[in-house]
Amino acid sequence: MSGRLLGQHVAVLRSAGADVDALARIEEWARRSVVVPEGTEVVDAHVHLGVDRDGHALSASDLIADMDANGIHRAVVFPADEPGPSGDFRESNGRVLEAAEGHPDRFIPFCRVDPSVGAAAAIDEARAGGARGLKLHPVAQRFAPEGEECVAVMRLATDLGWPVLVHAGFGARPLGPAFAGLLEQVPDARLILAHGGRGDHRALAALAAAYPDVLFDTSIAALPDLATLPPERVVFGSDRPYGDHAQALHLVGSAARVAGWDTTAMHGVMGANLLRLLGEGAS
Amino acid sequence: MSTADALRVVTLTAQAEMALVRRDAVAAALLSQAARAADGMPAGPLLAEAAAMVRGEPGREAIRQAALSLCRMALQDAQAELL
Repeated sequence: MSGRLLGQHVAVLRSAGADVDALARIEEWARRSVVVPEGTEVVDAHVHLGVDRDGHALSASDLIADMDANGIHRAVVFPADEPGPSGDFRESNGRVLEAAEGHPDRFIPFCRVDPSVGAAAAIDEARAGGARGLKLHPVAQRFAPEGEECVAVMRLATDLGWPVLVHAGFGARPLGPAFAGLLEQVPDARLILAHGGRGDHRALAALAAAYPDVLFDTSIAALPDLATLPPERVVFGSDRPYGDHAQALHLVGSAARVAGWDTTAMHGVMGANLLRLLGEGAS
Repeated sequence: MSTADALRVVTLTAQAEMALVRRDAVAAALLSQAARAADGMPAGPLLAEAAAMVRGEPGREAIRQAALSLCRMALQDAQAELL
């Protein structure tokens, strides 16, 4: 056996004494826990390429291998937390755009910016290079979603017709009022709230009800949160390399069973909802 | 599975997940407890494997991440029993 299991290299797992045969069985069971309707283009909404400051890393070739192994056709890709010496992510955005250029049928490139560090220029450069959306991380880049600089970036993205995937979860600061403030100022924003808004889900779900273009991704989300959302507001995501595809698929399969999502719902969750937000497919 | 059984597994597994995220050495003990609590349930084999891996090589990053994946799947299975 070679390759990866649960997102980790088999050789490393084996050298650490893991029972790789057992892990392979578990991974296959997890993959089979989600039933993807025939004809569905499976799209992972949340993947980081590159090397994060905290050591997490994923290359384009490893991602393609993971996608092939897990039945995932396309992935939205953007940089890890590597803002570079200038702090504006232009170098890491360039590497993501280059990877997408090498795999145009598999990768949908988003750019990542720090709203307080040359964001407009970085977005303009990324757009010219083929970017189709924006990734923001208010915790890593230390900004308020409802703050002036973030609102300016959000307006820019919205004017371009771009979806914006925003880290939304796991923090100390309450996110309900923050995103309410943002959406009051940019009501037509196409927002994807990452991690199902884990930790602030009730407030965010109540807020999103008034904004039809606010969706939630499933990456490292909590099952009770996903299972209580309307499925048309849910998009499949893995958060590779912080999460892995087997766990991500198992989560969606569990939510589908608990919530009773039908074939149409699963078609949307696994790809069509995201493609609609990107301007592909049915509106 | 009774509600109490599922709730016990959810509680222990959620604690283990956060311990793994925080790289806290208590993760091994919590995973072992969760595995015993989940014995005979769908989450049991996942937690047993995660506990064995973390006991064997607690400092290896690949082991921590693989155990985290198993732990999260086990948590989902146990939560599904309650929903």
